[in-house]
Amino acid sequence: MMNLKPKNKLNLFLLFSFLLAFILTFWSNDQLTQRVGDISFNEELDDSSFKVCDETRILQYYSVNANYQNGRKAIKKEIWEAIETLTFETHGYITFRFIINCKGEIGRFRVKSIDNELTTNEFSPDKIKALQKLIENLKHWNAGTFNSKTFDSYFVLNFKIENGKITDIF
Amino acid sequence: MKKFLKVFKLILTVLFFIYTTLLLSFMFLSPKENRFNFASNLQGVYLSQTVFNVLTFQFPNYSDAYFEQSVPFNKRGEFARGFELLNIAVELDPSLHLGYRGYMKLRFLRDYKNALIDFNRLDSLTSNFVDAPWGEDIDFLRGECYFGIKDYSKAIICLERSIENNTEDWVDLNTFVYLGLCEYELGNYEKSVSEHNRALKQSVNTPEAHFGLAQAYLKLNNIDKAKEHILNSELNIGYKRNDPYKEFQNELYLSEIHQFKQELMRENEK
Repeated sequence: MMNLKPKNKLNLFLLFSFLLAFILTFWSNDQLTQRVGDISFNEELDDSSFKVCDETRILQYYSVNANYQNGRKAIKKEIWEAIETLTFETHGYITFRFIINCKGEIGRFRVKSIDNELTTNEFSPDKIKALQKLIENLKHWNAGTFNSKTFDSYFVLNFKIENGKITDIF
Repeated sequence: MKKFLKVFKLILTVLFFIYTTLLLSFMFLSPKENRFNFASNLQGVYLSQTVFNVLTFQFPNYSDAYFEQSVPFNKRGEFARGFELLNIAVELDPSLHLGYRGYMKLRFLRDYKNALIDFNRLDSLTSNFVDAPWGEDIDFLRGECYFGIKDYSKAIICLERSIENNTEDWVDLNTFVYLGLCEYELGNYEKSVSEHNRALKQSVNTPEAHFGLAQAYLKLNNIDKAKEHILNSELNIGYKRNDPYKEFQNELYLSEIHQFKQELMRENEK
């Protein structure tokens, strides 16, 4: 084994301790800047014409009261006729998570679905696309606000499916 | 100079090691309560999730950690992961976490039947006292569940029991609103009026009760009273029951009030 001089040993310890501290700091910072449910731009999935106002500060709908005008009840009312014709082979919930930007435009849709036992479930991609199209056509979104300033925010919309039909939207 | 440089390097090395040791010892060795509070305060941040993962690895029976870790997933619509964690918490300590799980199923998923199962199981485990899952009376929540599945008679039984347990003056005034709505659905319009009036007795500024009264009076062909209450409902809309996290089953919006006013005008013209 190589016999290191005390000076070299010290340099090696310094390098090692610095690298350890650096890696830990970098990792902690990375862990602090990422959040559950964050949606970053994906060119394969997302419309590039949809822009957020501040990529570094996309809040949750409940922190800044982002919503559809007259609430989810109004969404249900607006799209109910189109939804009644849709049928599903499985039951459970389809949950859309997307961004309402500070101008009240929507984009970056992501979908999660579960069955009645609340475990991951798959629904027909065509039906999900049809639902997404209906959401995209909704035009009365209210961007989140705080202290009279508007913010980008994530929004969640659930479709409840029972006996092959959508029975509730919330 | 050489000696100074050597001392400087030594100090830096020690400082880097102290920094690393402090961070790692907090992460893996500090009291679990401290780490729990740290992770709870950073709810939703990945670091918080990592701390919870370490905690549940070291203390597999720490039900609160699973419960708290589930919260951001369910709030943000990732229910599969959220309920996977919450189910572990319930399995470890049912009497502590069943109420919250039932509450989440009711309010976040409108899964009324499974929410009822959780509330009933919780009630059977704690027979000596009346539970209040997430701060709300268990019978009020059960009433909401039955209202959701349109079993209005059973909803009325639960809501009445909530009033009995909490007394008329202290019960959540929405208990009366739901009672009014149930009676309306059952076609008992006079009874619906008296239930909504009980809500107004607690607070005259309850727009949901005024709206319910307007609907019931319209059914009773008392257009003047219906008008009076729809105007009061509009006037008090700022006091409506709302929650930034979710929409209530009977959440009231100004657009509904305006629509009802138009309906009343049409009735008036007949």
